[in-house]
Amino acid sequence: MDYELGADADALRAELRTLIAEEIPEEFLGAFTDDPRDLEIAQRFCARLASDKLLTLAWPEEYGGRGGSVWEQTVVREEMWAHHEPRGAQYMGLNWVGPAIMAYGTDEQKAQHLPAIASGSVIWCQGFSEPDAGSDLASLATRATDTDGGWLVNGQKIWTSYAGMAQWCVLAARVGGGEKKHEGITLFLVPMGTPGITVRPIRSSLGPHHLNEVFFDDVFVDENAALGGVGNGWQVIRHALTFERVGIARYARCDRLLSALEAELGDDFDALTPSVRAAWVRALLAVRVARLLAYRVVHLQAEGTPADTEASIARIAVTQTDQLVAEALFAALDSASVRDKRSGAALHGAVEDHWRYAQAATVASGTIEIQRMIVGRAALGRA
Amino acid sequence: MDLVVPDHIVELGATARRAFGDLGGVDAARRAEADPAAREQAGDALRALGADDIDPVGDVDQALAAFTLCREAGRVALPWPVEGTLCTIDGRAVVLVDTRDPLVDHADLLGEIVAVDLEGTTWSAAVAGPALASRLAPFAVPVTLTALTDRAGADVDAIATAAWALSAATVLGHVEAAVALAAEHVRTRHQFGQRIADFQAVQFQVADALVATAGLAELALFTFWRLAELGAGARTDALALRLHAADVARAALRTAQQLHGASGVSEEYDVSVLCRRVQSTLRFPVSSERVLDVLVDTTRETGFVSLFPQGRQRARR
Repeated sequence: MDYELGADADALRAELRTLIAEEIPEEFLGAFTDDPRDLEIAQRFCARLASDKLLTLAWPEEYGGRGGSVWEQTVVREEMWAHHEPRGAQYMGLNWVGPAIMAYGTDEQKAQHLPAIASGSVIWCQGFSEPDAGSDLASLATRATDTDGGWLVNGQKIWTSYAGMAQWCVLAARVGGGEKKHEGITLFLVPMGTPGITVRPIRSSLGPHHLNEVFFDDVFVDENAALGGVGNGWQVIRHALTFERVGIARYARCDRLLSALEAELGDDFDALTPSVRAAWVRALLAVRVARLLAYRVVHLQAEGTPADTEASIARIAVTQTDQLVAEALFAALDSASVRDKRSGAALHGAVEDHWRYAQAATVASGTIEIQRMIVGRAALGRA
Repeated sequence: MDLVVPDHIVELGATARRAFGDLGGVDAARRAEADPAAREQAGDALRALGADDIDPVGDVDQALAAFTLCREAGRVALPWPVEGTLCTIDGRAVVLVDTRDPLVDHADLLGEIVAVDLEGTTWSAAVAGPALASRLAPFAVPVTLTALTDRAGADVDAIATAAWALSAATVLGHVEAAVALAAEHVRTRHQFGQRIADFQAVQFQVADALVATAGLAELALFTFWRLAELGAGARTDALALRLHAADVARAALRTAQQLHGASGVSEEYDVSVLCRRVQSTLRFPVSSERVLDVLVDTTRETGFVSLFPQGRQRARR
């Protein structure tokens, strides 16, 4: 056994940190804030990453990628999330839309979309969740009906991140019906500028752009827009989710903020109460455990070993760690914790920002309850 | 990065499990409480597995072998001082001790003993009386501590670090076995016309226990790799593993007993013996709260390897 990531991965981490130091201001808290300059910073950074093929590091070389190892991909995930995801909304296109198009797209779809995603010039959103289809995604009711040269789509999506700025949407809609609710679901690649699409932002504690409702009223979708064939949407979704299984490297931001906290407090750190310092040590431990569980999933996937249960275990640990660390940081900062970037917060508001984000950690991309069901059923079987 | 546990370590674990199973599994612990002389069978089994030849700080393979034997011994609450057998210096057993109330599990089986306290001070320990024979610590033996005439070699700090980590490995074995027994119990027990495993509240408790146990197991592998690389330099990691083992055990063992219902406290059920017998490992030499106190200071002073610098010395991976 050996827990060293290796020279290539270490060099990549150093390269990314240098790039981030050059391109990303210290007080950057992500692309989606009230300040439009933050999005510009992210877009500029993506162009820089794209020119070095770092944006598509995980992609095969035939699609313009760098064919990076799973551990190099892990380093990218860690460094990006640790530094408030300076790729903005790009990770969705890079992490699963692009790979899904590689696996299921037609030659035309590959030619149209892959270079755009690789250049970091296009933002995608994911039209999956609906008001009555959240964790139970297969119950979605948005319908695509046959029309001359394509389909007419009607329905509503919700909790759609970046819908207000996205140029394209991967839309899950029902075409026809089957005996089972998974049957008939089709994925469509839809331009967000198509007439009949209305985006309504939902005000959220996370800040702007994160949550939206998207309404589809007689939206015409071209007959060539189906990804992976009509009626095969569930298969594509399941395949696509394998790219997302490891999930966001939330532990990396936790790690960075705990480090920053000590630096910020300096010698005052030793004046923290014993219980706060105990919470700090337990937070460091939780971060280490979460990272090790995530690494186990990366390792199993690289081996080709099914890792559904391990992925759910890692997700539970990682998301709970996010919340545990948020509380530990708040405990250390007392009332200063609720100040934000504009009201003189410690660490440029990064701790306040982290706490708000952490509240959604156990819901986003599959609730912790669903993950517990997966783990529980794997151990206990079903009646 | 290589996260593959070597085949021969996996094989050692399987062999140990068979050997301890041949002794009767948890029944060996029951027999030993009735007749302490029966502990020798456990010692024979451990020696047959090559425990005497393993140096837990020798290299990664030996560290993992030591970890594996303690973990498997923990699964059956093996009535033998496994950590003291593995942690030796110049033929003397190295054990952890609290100077205020020096008790050592199975001290009567260990021969010459070098005792190390939480601060790292070393002592010579000698048996001072019969075992407590209490329910939670039947084999705990009072010892007297005297100044060590030699320092027992510079390696004693590394061996003491291994002892902290191995105590966590023993706890891990107890917890894994107890959670597996709970899962089996809820799969087979029916109430209200259905398996109790089909109640979501039960599924979620099992899931949380499995998440905690999986995390502890991964942390243990990492820590033993660090131990092999750094010896005494992995002291912070070993104390952290020990603290985490106690945190996980507290919650997961509670779940394991609770899901057994009244059977959870019946000595006819293995879960009761496991939850009871692990208490001396969890409480000796000191409570996890005292470990935490020391861990806070050592983490602050020497750092905590991570993706970003932590601690006053800003340790990094």
